Amino acid sequence: MSYLELSHVRKSFAGATAVEDFNLSIAQGEFISFLGPSGCGKTTTLRMVAGFELPTAGQITLNGKDLTFLPPNKRNVGMVFQSYALFPNMTVAENIGYGLKVAGKSKTEIKPRVDEMLGLIHLEKFGTRYPGQLSGGQQQRVALARALAIRPHVLLLDEPLSALDAKIRVELRHEIRRIQQQLGITTIYVTHDQEEALSLSDRIVVMSQGKMEQVGTPAQIYNFPETEFVAQFVGQINLLPVEVVNPAQGVVKLGQQLIQAGQFGHLNGNPVRLAVRPEELNPGFKEGANNLNGKVDTITYLGAIVRIRIAIEGHPVSLDIFNERKLKIPTIGDPYQVTFPVDACWLL
Amino acid sequence: MRTKQSNFWARLNFWSFFWPLLAMLYFFLPMYGTLDFSLRMKKGVISLLAYQTVLADPKFLESFRYSAIMGVITVVISVLLFVPTVYWVYLRLPQARPVMEIISILPFIIPVIVYVFGLIRTFSGPPFQLTLTPFKTDILITAGYIILSMPFMFRAIDVGMRAIDVRSLTEAGQSLGANWVQILFNIIFPNLRIAILSGALICFATVIGELILGDFLVRPALGPYMVLVGRDRAYEPAALAIISYALTWACLGLIQFFSRGGNTQQQLTGR
Repeated sequence: MSYLELSHVRKSFAGATAVEDFNLSIAQGEFISFLGPSGCGKTTTLRMVAGFELPTAGQITLNGKDLTFLPPNKRNVGMVFQSYALFPNMTVAENIGYGLKVAGKSKTEIKPRVDEMLGLIHLEKFGTRYPGQLSGGQQQRVALARALAIRPHVLLLDEPLSALDAKIRVELRHEIRRIQQQLGITTIYVTHDQEEALSLSDRIVVMSQGKMEQVGTPAQIYNFPETEFVAQFVGQINLLPVEVVNPAQGVVKLGQQLIQAGQFGHLNGNPVRLAVRPEELNPGFKEGANNLNGKVDTITYLGAIVRIRIAIEGHPVSLDIFNERKLKIPTIGDPYQVTFPVDACWLL
Repeated sequence: MRTKQSNFWARLNFWSFFWPLLAMLYFFLPMYGTLDFSLRMKKGVISLLAYQTVLADPKFLESFRYSAIMGVITVVISVLLFVPTVYWVYLRLPQARPVMEIISILPFIIPVIVYVFGLIRTFSGPPFQLTLTPFKTDILITAGYIILSMPFMFRAIDVGMRAIDVRSLTEAGQSLGANWVQILFNIIFPNLRIAILSGALICFATVIGELILGDFLVRPALGPYMVLVGRDRAYEPAALAIISYALTWACLGLIQFFSRGGNTQQQLTGR
């Protein structure tokens, strides 16, 4: 059952289209992420849900009620900003209680709700502090509590972790998911960080140039990307220009080496690209799998993973292997054989 | 740290002291001369007689009271006029900011005398006859003061707006259910407190010392009073000049004092 619905939503700025024919149904309690590079329209879409931008065309409904042209202060939609946007003149408690105050709630109603929210974000002792006296992570928690205090229908998060350092980002990511699941609140999360989107979301909307590229669960997006853009944007991928040899059986050719593709639709001739993730490749030879020969081009040490780039028929192919102490790292220029299962690759 | 300090002293030479000293002499010597002169009203004795005479003069008190009231009214109207205007420009019409900048410096470009004659010509006849009664003239003079102090007030508010993330704060307020009035009075005004105070004090000092508007619109302001006293007395104008200086410095001191307190509440955007 759809709770929040965006139907044929379009947004243009001075003739330039920022969002084009956006259609999405979000279920109550669902955590959905808009993922894409800068300028893809993800924040504009979020701002249209918040009411800060008006759609040029289309409709936004929440629980059957038309929100499209409703002012932002009438929507009961909580928003968390990248820049925190805490009110510097108010204490943490005043910030959290502000939405309730403007709603005309009494002090006796506001106080327990503020305390509850402070407990939710584990900042019980910080109520009397000012935002300037908190760290970035603490400020963003307060911003989250402030947005949740009003019991919003939908929670919107606009790249809330981008301004924080890596460690805090991971901590707060778990915190956001825990709170969202605890409260069962419908959430839209905007990010350009694929790891964030994959780890947090029930579903992900991948966007590019104002259009929806693909909507799906994190596993669907990562394992079964429908477009070249999604395949390249989410995770690492090898995209190899191959020549179709047998369209009925999905046999293709990279230079002189034959490859059997596991997933292929109707092949409309050439050029075709073969997609395979670096972690699907293994060193060596395996009977019944695809086996390719090349030469080691570069080796990148990434700590837990070692990424080896092999030149196969003049095309770079990356292979990720888990690091271990006994791992024998090849030398650049060495002949190298890689193998990958038939169902690990697909044609785009 | 020690190396830095020793480098600083090593760089100093004769000219490092000469120019600041010359500038200080240029500024303080006439002031000292005026102060010294104002204290010599009683022959051969240093006294505050000139100040006593000035402060005892009912006309001084009347003109000071008039200018102070006008100053406060000017400040209140300026704040209510400029804060929402600058706020709106920041939020909705950022492309209009250069135009506002130019408009705000017009009082520096157009001589006050030209401006006063323009006001008198426009508002001494129908449909807006504002020179017939003292009350109406006070409305006109307040409008004039607002324009004259606009560069200071606009700049102060502009600097204040730049220091806060106006758009995000507004949107945060909106998403929490606040309307425009609540956003302005609960969020924007309090966060511009120091900027408004700075603008208000400069604005007040400008009105207190203003001469031409008060003189040509024939209102009992402090500026024309000072000129009048200067025409036929010797020591009292000097005392008045020192009092005027003291008022201005007091305003500047207050700006400094209040500016110090704002740091703990500054917004950390994290960007």
